[in-house]
Amino acid sequence: MTAPLEAIEPAAEQAAGPGDERPAYRGPLRYVAVKAGGAVLSIGMVIIGTFFLFRMLPGDPVRALAQGRNMTPAQLDLERRRLGLDKPLFDQFLDFLTGTLRLDLGTSYEYKRPVLDLIVDRLPATILLAGTALVVAVGLGVWQGTKAGWRRGSRFDRFSTSTSLIFWSVPTFWLGLLLMMALGNGIGPIPGIFPTRGIESVDAPDGFAYVLDVGMHMVLPVLTMVGVVYAQYLLVMRSSLLDEVGQDYITTARAKGLRDDQVRRRHAVPNALLPTVTLVFMRIGFVVGGAVTVEAIFTWPGLGQLFYRAIKVPDFTLMQGTFMLLCVSVILMNTLADVVYHVLDPRVRSA
Amino acid sequence: MKKWLARLSALSVALVIAGQGQMALAQEPAAGKKIVRVGATQAVDSMNPFLAVRLISTSVHRWMFGYLTVPDSKTLKPSPDLAESWTSSPDGLTWTFKIRQAKWSDGKPVTADDAAWTFNKIMTDEAAKTANGPAVENFESVTAAGQDLTIKLKAPQASMLENPIPIMPKHVWEGVTDIAKFEAEQYPAVSSGPFIATEHKKDQYVKLKANPDYWRGKPKIDELQVIFYDNPAAAIIGLKKGDIDLIGRLAPSDFQALAGDANIEQWNKQGRRAAYLQINHGATTTDDKPVGDGHPALKDPKVRTALHHAIDKAKLVAEVQNGLAKPADGSIVPPMYTDFFWEAAGEEKISYDPAVANKILEEAGYKKGADGVRTMPDGKKKLEFRFSIHTDTPVEDKLAEYLTGFFKEIGITLTTNRLDSSKFTEETGVTGLFDIAISGWSVNPDPEEVLATHLCSRRPNAAGEGGGTESFYCNPDFEKLYQEQLKELDRPKRAEIIKQMQKKLYTDAPVIAIYYPNDLEGYRKGTITSVTSIPEGDGIIYGGSSYWPFYTLDAKATAAGGSGSGAGGSNTGLIIGIVAAVVVVGGVGFFLVRRRKGVADERE
Repeated sequence: MTAPLEAIEPAAEQAAGPGDERPAYRGPLRYVAVKAGGAVLSIGMVIIGTFFLFRMLPGDPVRALAQGRNMTPAQLDLERRRLGLDKPLFDQFLDFLTGTLRLDLGTSYEYKRPVLDLIVDRLPATILLAGTALVVAVGLGVWQGTKAGWRRGSRFDRFSTSTSLIFWSVPTFWLGLLLMMALGNGIGPIPGIFPTRGIESVDAPDGFAYVLDVGMHMVLPVLTMVGVVYAQYLLVMRSSLLDEVGQDYITTARAKGLRDDQVRRRHAVPNALLPTVTLVFMRIGFVVGGAVTVEAIFTWPGLGQLFYRAIKVPDFTLMQGTFMLLCVSVILMNTLADVVYHVLDPRVRSA
Repeated sequence: MKKWLARLSALSVALVIAGQGQMALAQEPAAGKKIVRVGATQAVDSMNPFLAVRLISTSVHRWMFGYLTVPDSKTLKPSPDLAESWTSSPDGLTWTFKIRQAKWSDGKPVTADDAAWTFNKIMTDEAAKTANGPAVENFESVTAAGQDLTIKLKAPQASMLENPIPIMPKHVWEGVTDIAKFEAEQYPAVSSGPFIATEHKKDQYVKLKANPDYWRGKPKIDELQVIFYDNPAAAIIGLKKGDIDLIGRLAPSDFQALAGDANIEQWNKQGRRAAYLQINHGATTTDDKPVGDGHPALKDPKVRTALHHAIDKAKLVAEVQNGLAKPADGSIVPPMYTDFFWEAAGEEKISYDPAVANKILEEAGYKKGADGVRTMPDGKKKLEFRFSIHTDTPVEDKLAEYLTGFFKEIGITLTTNRLDSSKFTEETGVTGLFDIAISGWSVNPDPEEVLATHLCSRRPNAAGEGGGTESFYCNPDFEKLYQEQLKELDRPKRAEIIKQMQKKLYTDAPVIAIYYPNDLEGYRKGTITSVTSIPEGDGIIYGGSSYWPFYTLDAKATAAGGSGSGAGGSNTGLIIGIVAAVVVVGGVGFFLVRRRKGVADERE
């Protein structure tokens, strides 16, 4: 949330009066470099933090692996050596650091494959699901938010705002299961037309039919994700539009004789969109993480499911890898949001 | 308001049409075949039988591969599988198995050499020991001559005929250099059992087809699919809807959610699991040094007996397990194994009676204080025990609640200690940092392994390594009986010894069995037309240690999608889908235009 704070800054400085001695021009490149530097620093801290976090977890990872099976002390030692847990902590840390910098995140115990391969494998499914949900949620939220904000207090405003808030407060897994029961299994007159699990049918057809098949499988998970998050876009859009409605330029635009629709679309909405854009970029970072619950409900073979399995097994290497990925994607997208905001809003640029 | 209604109805019509198209698509390739879809909430850990340890994986391997022997479908006694007959030397050290004339699914003959290679691989390759290492620990040598397999043992072993190792095709597997990294994801897999695996998508599904050349004859169904669900509640919905046809190992609440559904047969039979309390009666390591911080009062057998008297097992079954279990009047072997099950009777039976419990404690000198809580005879320490359970397990939470109530009746305070699973395993199995803990074991037709979990040697060593003890128990009589049953090749006599061991556990009470949870499963009556459990009648369908239930399964063939117009199905679906899309797009466009007009009207 750094961007809004910086947006206030210039106003304060201008209030201090002109004539302040400050550099007249700061290059956008320099701005980007500063932001990128900050991101690199944060990522470095995530890497270090991850290492210590996962060593501080209670319990011995090797013993956790041995749970429910009969492993001899020799086998346990072997496993410990394989995971590099027999070395001193500092050596482990160096191994971890050099490995991570070379993008070698280790080998998953559960899948017996390099963690990075697994992540690359699972990424498309998550992007398909979470990306679609994001687009739909943003579209729905911005559309309803605009309408609700423009006619504040109308029946539409009351209805859409309260509906979205109800969905926002509902736990994801509960909504997911409810939708699955209603639209997956069918209740009363509603037929159960949507599949309950996975990204494709077990006997999936080929060609265009396959696209339809995947589309059908996407409906319920996407609905769940959209239902839970679209309220925030609606509310941000609505409130920033409300801020604009009272502004002088709106009155001017109306005075020019523009139709209500034009005032809204050409003047109010573009200005009100800025906070929403920031929000969208920040949410993109969470797209990967936000899908964990939904993927676990619908057995969707994406990163969220991978993370969920890693915790259940427990597979520490895989947990570490996916955890770092989640953190890094949030940091990168936050940085990008800062930069994009900088480009979009001249007020920030002049700062 | 009207346009909303119209839009909504247009959308729902489109959805229904698209849905029907989709159904036609999904069914089309399966038309006319007998397919059974089994739901599972556990992911396959490996398709390599040398590595796989989860129940789901070993079940799939039991459907795919042959073993030396298989439990008889009625009596659960070892009966011929790939070994058609066997003899043992009088000293019980040399076993000769005659491997039957059968074929691998790639047409090559099955020989004793395949079996010898499999066992030798596990004996010599550290990585190959992962799944079944202990099963060959006692093997001195394994050799093959034609169809004759000779196994020499280091010491006699009665459970020799319950060997859990699938026989692998040597000609396929001998080229594998690193077993630990080999995932065996090559399909169709070469195997000799009733089914052949044809596809596996990790965390999604496994597909198996019937082996047409199986030596017992082709299974009745054509295809078996194992479909994975992350979420048990979703699997229940899948079963109700018909996405899956059968699911086993249900929790009581999920099982009850199936009640009242006319399409589903609820399978509620006695199970293979025993649930028990593990009592820290003075945990020690293999060099007999005390370890952990167990309450000193629990070292006193009288206190343990009093605890046993204070537990109302019938109430636990009714309230905690929703009636879907059997109160335990025995020990760690559940009653479904009629040959080995021991049940307390007469004087030795410890029944629910808080008065007796109170009397025992009173006489042993554990006097009640002013607050109603008893103290040690030396008056120093109160009888306050911790009860260790897992986090996020509502059933265990409920159990803790009831036990707390029971023990309060006899002046003992119980506090609940919730631990995440790796910490739980460590504290209750290695470091001994507990007083009382919940535990349980799924028992195989041969109970040797569960008995072994109470041996001295299973305790952790001085460095806190290894182990696999379920109780930190170390009793010379129990050890002697264990060795005796190993050597006893006469089944009834061996069963007698095993019963004595259970009696020892019952009276000594390092563990107190509380109930035997039922085997809860559900299947769709419409698809599955006949199913035979193991053992036949009141047995297990999924998760039993043999292929019988799935080999004998019969199902209704999936309806052919329109007589003879198999290829037309997808086209029809496609056309309907496109029409639906056009209708939706057109409808939305129309309403948008109308709305725009409406807005304009309003302004002018």
